[in-house]
Amino acid sequence: MARMKHVDREEGRAYWMMVLPAFLIYLLVMAFPIILSAVLSVSDYSGGKMFGGERWGFAGFGQYARVFADPFFWNAFKNNMYVVLVSVFGQLPLGFIFAYIIYRRLVKWPDFWQTVLYVPNIISIIVVGLLWQTIFSPNGPIGEIMNNMYRHDFQEQLRTLLGPASGFTVTDSMVRRILELAGPAGAAQFGDPLPELKSLMLSFGSAGGIGPDGYGPLVDGLTNLFVRKWSPEFLNKPDVAMLPVLFVILWMYTGMYLILFLANMQKIDTQIIESARIDGAREGQVMRYIILPSLSGTVVNSAILAISGSLSSFALIFAMTGGGPSRVTEIISIYMYNNAFLGRPNFALANAIALITVAISFLLIMLTKALEKRFGGKEE
Amino acid sequence: MSEELKSGILARTGAALAKTLAYAIMIVFTVMTLYPIVWLIINSFKTTQEFQVSQLGFPKEPTLQNYTLAWEFGDFSKLFPNSLIYTIGATAGIILLSLLAGFAFAKIKSRATKPIYASFVIGILLTVNTLMIPLFLEMTVLGLYDTRLAVLLVYIGAGLPTGVYLATEFIKGIPSALVESARIDGAGFLRIFWKIILPMAAPVATTLAILNITGIWNEFALINILVSKTELKSLPLGIFKFSGSLSTDYGKQFAALTIGMAPMLIFYMVFRKQITKGVAAGAVKG
Repeated sequence: MARMKHVDREEGRAYWMMVLPAFLIYLLVMAFPIILSAVLSVSDYSGGKMFGGERWGFAGFGQYARVFADPFFWNAFKNNMYVVLVSVFGQLPLGFIFAYIIYRRLVKWPDFWQTVLYVPNIISIIVVGLLWQTIFSPNGPIGEIMNNMYRHDFQEQLRTLLGPASGFTVTDSMVRRILELAGPAGAAQFGDPLPELKSLMLSFGSAGGIGPDGYGPLVDGLTNLFVRKWSPEFLNKPDVAMLPVLFVILWMYTGMYLILFLANMQKIDTQIIESARIDGAREGQVMRYIILPSLSGTVVNSAILAISGSLSSFALIFAMTGGGPSRVTEIISIYMYNNAFLGRPNFALANAIALITVAISFLLIMLTKALEKRFGGKEE
Repeated sequence: MSEELKSGILARTGAALAKTLAYAIMIVFTVMTLYPIVWLIINSFKTTQEFQVSQLGFPKEPTLQNYTLAWEFGDFSKLFPNSLIYTIGATAGIILLSLLAGFAFAKIKSRATKPIYASFVIGILLTVNTLMIPLFLEMTVLGLYDTRLAVLLVYIGAGLPTGVYLATEFIKGIPSALVESARIDGAGFLRIFWKIILPMAAPVATTLAILNITGIWNEFALINILVSKTELKSLPLGIFKFSGSLSTDYGKQFAALTIGMAPMLIFYMVFRKQITKGVAAGAVKG
């Protein structure tokens, strides 16, 4: 009996020696911040020393009311929902299609496609954010293509307007038409557009502009004067500014769902599929009755990961837009960060937001449990 | 033509059509995936002046000047070692602590297991990013703001929920008889851990290493609020310096982005099999 007690005590000591290091760090990083957050969210703490500095105390639940009354919070919340929708209705189906194509060997070199499509996941989110910011900017490849199109278009119109090279005379209507092509920004370059532009064109003419090759220098000169530079309107228009962000999220994470789906497809017993094929099942039937049902758990799992991922995502939008223009691309995490660190910090408010996000996460965990009960057993 | 032959031909054209479509889909998306990355690398060898004239196409006179400038401006010779310390330190910590706790949860009976293990599992969906503001305040109060220790603690704490979950589930699969017979031979638990559990848990340790190495090397949101001194910053923080006021010096920015991308791309090329396997195994939600 005494020996048993001794063993028990040794066992207990070993248990805590192994569990405590992990548990204490976990408490420090996850549990304690939640408590701190709860305390500060109902306080009037405003930065500075927490102990021994300016006194602070209970200030009521006003910060929560402020958050829920703030249209910027709801905008951020809406954007989080967009991220979830893009994941669930964009990444998941695309990832599924890729996985299916690879799994059913519709293409050769399965490893190659899988490897390449996963690459964006490996790159630092900051790199991805800054890279796409540049790609969508007027100086990116899209900008160059668009500018070339504008140029080409403008020159074509000029050539038709000027007519055959031999019969060239500068008429008022021609100049007026060119000004129309140039648009308001182009016309604004001249004090008195008509005469000034006319004399400019004549000077091109006398400089050998109308030679055997047509109006080369004249067309080039006018193009350089007038063609507008492409500006990515969708980054400046508030109602569509989320689109590039959502596109990049799709670009970045679809490969992850490909990996998840493929790994789970490979767990399916291939004999079931083969015997179904021998019994005359068509490809569509194999997909409908064998592959899809055995992946329902993965689909639910992925959707939950997508929601929790959207709540925690921060760096991509922080790097790509910083939440702008005029705060339209903020998601909850950036909304929280800006309240804490931009301008006059409002830590009470930021902590209220943190706690609201934690509450959403807990709701999510309960939803998971509920879904697991419905789809029970189908997972893994 | 017999009916059978006809349906055979139909099936074959159908299959050929499906294959063509499959290739088309894969090629389009592969190009879309790789093009921005290739574009970035190509343009990192152009001067900013050349880039402003031509964003498409290859550099006329490839230059490494962007790289030397970016390396110096970004203080990358300081940030690289930091990133290594954080990544290796935190990953090793997560693996060791997860396996220790997992061993205790899986093989030692205790009434404490249920609530503590459950709290770890809840943490899988409770992402630490949500808590960045209170974490910042907590570390400031503890006097740990702007220390390596804070970064390591936060990274380890963030990795533990998934780590403990995977380790516990894996160690449950190791036969208890192995542990019991070692106990009868008089071995202590720590000895059993080193001699039996640790070697047998290599697969789950690999999964955890893969998940955490890529995650921590690229991590930005948390370290962004934990340190401000250049001496303590990691690579992603250094790269972020190239946005904003410097975003018009494209050559330098592209070189910095390529420098930031390269280590993980190489790591991926070497370990891609293990990485894709690890990702599939680690995508748990408790």
